[in-house]
Amino acid sequence: MMYGIGKCLRTAAASLLVGACAVMGVGAPAHADTNIAGKKVIFVPISMGISLTEGWARRMRQHAEIYGYSIDIRDAGFNTGAMSELLAKAISDKPDVLVVHNPTVQLLSRQIKQAESEGIKVLQINLQSNQPSTAFVGANWERIGREIAEDIVKECGAGSGKSGKVAIIPGQLTAADSVMMNDAAFKVFEANKEIQVVSNQASDWEPEKARQITATVLQQHPDLCAIFGHWDVHTMGAGNAVKDAGKADDVLVYSTGGGDDVACKAIEDGIQDRIWSYDADGQGRDAGTMIDLLLQGAAAADGSMLSVESPMKIIKAGDSYDASMCWKM
Amino acid sequence: MAELTARMASRQARSNMLERVVAFATVALIVMFSLLIDGFATLGNLRVILSNSASLMMLACGMAVVILSRGLDLSLIAQMIAGATTFSILVSGGVPASLALLLAVAAMVLVGLANAWLIAYVEIPAMLATLASAMFVTGLFRFAVLQGQSLILLPKSDPTVMLLAGDLVPGLSVPVALMFATLGATWFLLRYSVPGRVVYAMGDNFQAARLTGLQVRRTTIAVYVFAALTALFAGLVTAAQSGAVDFRTVTNGTLLFDVILAVVLGGIPLRGGRGSVRNIIVGVALIAVLRNGMTLMNFTTQTQDMLKGLVLIMAIVADNYLNPRDTETDTVGDL
Repeated sequence: MMYGIGKCLRTAAASLLVGACAVMGVGAPAHADTNIAGKKVIFVPISMGISLTEGWARRMRQHAEIYGYSIDIRDAGFNTGAMSELLAKAISDKPDVLVVHNPTVQLLSRQIKQAESEGIKVLQINLQSNQPSTAFVGANWERIGREIAEDIVKECGAGSGKSGKVAIIPGQLTAADSVMMNDAAFKVFEANKEIQVVSNQASDWEPEKARQITATVLQQHPDLCAIFGHWDVHTMGAGNAVKDAGKADDVLVYSTGGGDDVACKAIEDGIQDRIWSYDADGQGRDAGTMIDLLLQGAAAADGSMLSVESPMKIIKAGDSYDASMCWKM
Repeated sequence: MAELTARMASRQARSNMLERVVAFATVALIVMFSLLIDGFATLGNLRVILSNSASLMMLACGMAVVILSRGLDLSLIAQMIAGATTFSILVSGGVPASLALLLAVAAMVLVGLANAWLIAYVEIPAMLATLASAMFVTGLFRFAVLQGQSLILLPKSDPTVMLLAGDLVPGLSVPVALMFATLGATWFLLRYSVPGRVVYAMGDNFQAARLTGLQVRRTTIAVYVFAALTALFAGLVTAAQSGAVDFRTVTNGTLLFDVILAVVLGGIPLRGGRGSVRNIIVGVALIAVLRNGMTLMNFTTQTQDMLKGLVLIMAIVADNYLNPRDTETDTVGDL
């Protein structure tokens, strides 16, 4: 009998041990090395002080606080010469991740290549250069250009009773977004010959220049049907020129931008009609997430560029207008 | 005596040559554009040209008065944006428009006084003093007042913005009316007021003006404060029309270059002493017509800047040829 009890006890003890192991095995979750505290991230935007980059920076800082890594912002203040210098200094500081906002497709591509070859992961945000890097977070400019062009064809093309005249107002003709949007838009317009592009003058991202260009073009083409501005901020000037000429009901003003509350105000005031918002607030969060992943060692298996395309929010004046589509700083 | 008067008269005639050349060039451009471009020679286009050049004309008035007194105000554009910023922040902060305007005027008078003090009393060369104040004002407003923002957007629904950009009388917009008012004020200042007379004396021969007891310091104050006020009104007009107050106009833009170009092209030499409102009008007219024509012909902004630079070089060469320096006019420290 003693031998029987001992056997029972041993079985019980053994099963308890096995059970305990099983519980411990299930309870301890497996995770990657998230000890990225103390790592260094440097962000070089075209300029701070605009809602787009301030919105990104806010979200990126939130992610940095959660994990304990540092994010340092080097503000070029819209000065492209200063940007090259700031990027060179940032590379020499050897950060773990470098976030770059390219003013043109060409300007910083050599330095991005240099950074990548030195082992610094480069995240290009919203405006890409000709040089691919570790990752990209931003709007799909080809899609925006194509969708806006198709909307213009629908509103101003054959069968609409309008003149088919369109004025395009890029920021700078060599900026990534303008290059890609114009490529995509012109492809659509080629297929729809009734659309005529009467002006394609860059406004240097300035509302006042856009206003003057629009006032002049409206004067020469009073039957203008649509204006496609490549940034909602400088398109404010164009929209104001249209409103001042009393043509707010005749001319459709399209633009694309970060979609903050100023954009919604412009739609409410009748300055702009349709804005393709890439939601700068959401982009900031995507960028923050991407930085977290890059710091933890994420990379594409074949070395190609990781890409996160920003979902669109199309804000249209009229019945479908919804003020909650805009974010507030 | 007769020979002296004759020589002076011929010099006057020579200095008017550049103005005549530029006026002729403007007329030639107008004829060429009317023939080449559809819709150039219409009343609507004239209205567009006037409205687009209102702020340039106002700035040119301020700069011309400064240049006539043998000074230079490189902080004019910074003052323009700073004035517009002050006004916009006050109005959007709930201050009634008339009070906000008064406060903006006071702020700009202060900036003008600071410039004048540096130049007249501390006796720093005008170019350096105004360059420094431009950087100081830009930095102060961008980082202290705007907290880092480089651009503020003004809603068109704001009544003051609507007033400043709207029509005074049907057919005459407020910006254009303000432009004519500024031209009138400049003409009155230069022709009928005491500071105006002293300005010409200072430009002609500063040391002689000072030694003969003319109030050069007070006139310097009047001149720089006047420039600051024209900059303020130009800024208000631009901000209301475009719906934005944009600091990049100061740091990245070529507006200062355009203003000096307009004044020099009109026939006011950088060493001062000669010129009037007519010169300002001629200079701005050439630039406005050129800009309008190039936009209608769809030239890129880079090409436009290049052509403007070419025009400036030709004007300076023509000026040098038509206004050769003799011992009387060749003064040391010429800009």
